[in-house]
Amino acid sequence: EDADRGASADLAVVEARRHLLNEWYEWRENMEAELAEERERAGLPKDPHTHLLEAKTKTLQVADQEQVVE
Amino acid sequence: MVAMPSEPCQELTQSPRYNLDGDIIFSVAKDQHICAWYSHNGERLGTYHGHVGAIWTVDVDPTTTMIASGSADNTIRLWDVKSAKNLKTWEFPTAVKRVEFSEDGTKLLGVTEKRMGYLSNIVVFDINPDPAAEQTDERALTIVCDESKATVAGFSYLNRYIIAGHEDGSVSQYDAKTGELIDNIPIHELNQPIVDLQWNADRTYFITACKDKSAKLVAARDLTVLKTYPADTPLNSATITPKKDFVILGGGQAAMDVTRTSARQGKFEARFYHKIFEDEIGRVRGHFGPLNTVAADPTGKSYASGGEDGYVRVHHFDKGYFDFLYEVERERINRMS
Repeated sequence: EDADRGASADLAVVEARRHLLNEWYEWRENMEAELAEERERAGLPKDPHTHLLEAKTKTLQVADQEQVVE
Repeated sequence: MVAMPSEPCQELTQSPRYNLDGDIIFSVAKDQHICAWYSHNGERLGTYHGHVGAIWTVDVDPTTTMIASGSADNTIRLWDVKSAKNLKTWEFPTAVKRVEFSEDGTKLLGVTEKRMGYLSNIVVFDINPDPAAEQTDERALTIVCDESKATVAGFSYLNRYIIAGHEDGSVSQYDAKTGELIDNIPIHELNQPIVDLQWNADRTYFITACKDKSAKLVAARDLTVLKTYPADTPLNSATITPKKDFVILGGGQAAMDVTRTSARQGKFEARFYHKIFEDEIGRVRGHFGPLNTVAADPTGKSYASGGEDGYVRVHHFDKGYFDFLYEVERERINRMS
């Protein structure tokens, strides 16, 4: 009987965690969708950093080439 | 694990900060210069000299082109990462306790200290991302915190809001364009200062660390408290780990307070909590004094902690860390695949 009670308590804990996990990912999906939509509406790239890093890489490549010419 | 000793000085409190690529850590201490380190081996990459007071805060822009720092010498300084040149200095009537770039690096905010005759301000500057360009003298915005002193602040997603944490345990949401206060919510115990505020990767939510011995996860959009992490010691810092759903908390009593309570309970450990389940899942020892700052590597591979003991410690996560999953998480991953 004790073992049964223990098992059902464990089950309740697992069920509670499952609920928390679903709730979290639901919130994240909503938030991510909203953010993506707003970035698009504002004419911004999907990711705030990718294009900045690409642009920086290009300037570094140019600098390297210039050094080679010297 | 990599430990980076600071040079000897009177007070050594370290505050590390990663760049976006996770390969460089910038740290400041009270010894008046900023250090840059390689995160993988702790080798020092450079130092930045110019401040004439303790440095409280440093941040790096998204392309690791410029860093900004705030100091007890009442200035915010902007630096060229590569040449270590001091590009710009802005002066204030009081110390600067926090600086932070916006996610696109086009704006920089600073939080100034409250002192007789001066309220704490949140100041904003537009930043020209070209290190060769002239930077503006003019503030784009000044927010005067007349209710409760702001201790920490940062820009949300889309540079839409400025979120501030206050000395009274509340958080504020301001319109980042106009500076208008939209909302202020007491989320921590009354008059227990919020001492850290760090973002998740897309800046839609953040974590606060408070002297009330708890950290909270809060939505930027409406300041809803999503999660609470209770600790057994006053906190100085909290950070959100990418890749894994964890948060890391750091704190501990100052040496003076420890002798008054229990010498054994320094509690100088970094505490790991499950972000979603709010359970404490592990601790990492290493410091011989309170943890001043914990910082998560944006690539998820490591974390850094800065202590009152003058060390920045960088911990690279092992396989066990990445493999660790609750049964329900495993279940979810299996379902999704």
